[in-house]
Amino acid sequence: MNLIPLLDGLKNSGIATAIRNSLYIFPLLEAVHVIALTLVFGTIMIVDLRILGVASTSRPYSRVSADMLKWTWGAFALALVTGSFMFITNARVYFDNTFFRFKFLLMALAGLNMLVFQLTAGREPVAWNDGVPAPPRAKAAAIASLVLWVLVIGMGRSVGFTTTGAAAKETAPPPSVDFDSFLSSGPSSAPPGASH
Amino acid sequence: MILEDVAHWIAATQASVLIQTNEKWFIPAVQSVHIVGIGVVLACVLVMTLRVLGWSGKDQSVLQTQRRFGPWMIGALWLLLATGVLMIIGEPERELVTFSFWAKMTLVALGTAVALVFQRSVRAAGPDWEDRVGAHASVKMVAVATLVMWLAVVFLGRLIAYDHIWGALSPSIKQ
Repeated sequence: MNLIPLLDGLKNSGIATAIRNSLYIFPLLEAVHVIALTLVFGTIMIVDLRILGVASTSRPYSRVSADMLKWTWGAFALALVTGSFMFITNARVYFDNTFFRFKFLLMALAGLNMLVFQLTAGREPVAWNDGVPAPPRAKAAAIASLVLWVLVIGMGRSVGFTTTGAAAKETAPPPSVDFDSFLSSGPSSAPPGASH
Repeated sequence: MILEDVAHWIAATQASVLIQTNEKWFIPAVQSVHIVGIGVVLACVLVMTLRVLGWSGKDQSVLQTQRRFGPWMIGALWLLLATGVLMIIGEPERELVTFSFWAKMTLVALGTAVALVFQRSVRAAGPDWEDRVGAHASVKMVAVATLVMWLAVVFLGRLIAYDHIWGALSPSIKQ
């Protein structure tokens, strides 16, 4: 299946163009994306540390996870929406980016890990809910979750460092054709938004 | 300008040069650890705010909740300070010559002060804190304001990379 027309279509859509043409929208999307993903990670970490018996051991696991996971999902939805808007501004460049691909692979693994946990050691009613250490299987899932999400953050940050300016390079007219903008923009023609 | 002078002085130090020569992997790695620390702080603030508001975690007292999350928050703040200092040493101009950075630092100082005052207040009043102090509407408002403040800290932190959006407020924009 050839995805290039779809990716280019996303990039050329009105909304993606509007985001690219604004000095403000992309930075604001990215800032909200960071708030959302830190809440995803922080709330997951609370649950994982409870499973590991490292923190919140004075509360039953079911209470900790019920309190936290609704915020995790809410924040995840926000990260998904903001991330999608960021993606369409330069769809093909992100899609081709190795860190971007690894990030989604790792998120898929984190999702699979969560699914397996919920269907096995985490299935209600949880035998180790209160005052009993979680079984090794549950602890392994908690460690895997923490490691995977930290790696997702690392990959996400790397995407920003390896895609910046790609859109500018791609859309900038060759200087031999457009002397005016070449002369007025000087040696650094990267747009002010092209920053990591 | 003094900010730029300080930034240039830092950029010339050996530590800064060492980071600059390894910036391709070092800066993203340190930023990622910084984001992990932010996640811990935000989650701690969120849980403590929800408890003060009485929205969740009511099976434990505010004192118990603060004891669970206060130390993690303080630990994460130290991690953020360490990684933040590394980023300033590595990219002094990018950090120091911005409006976003100084606005963020102001809110970080305020947020940390609130966290410490909250800790003292809760530990002094003990399990009765909720009835004696936390019942006041003003305390609940401060709790919400604190959460909003920490969200603003994260927001401004990301905007350091896009300081131009502040226009004339940004010291990086040459008039």
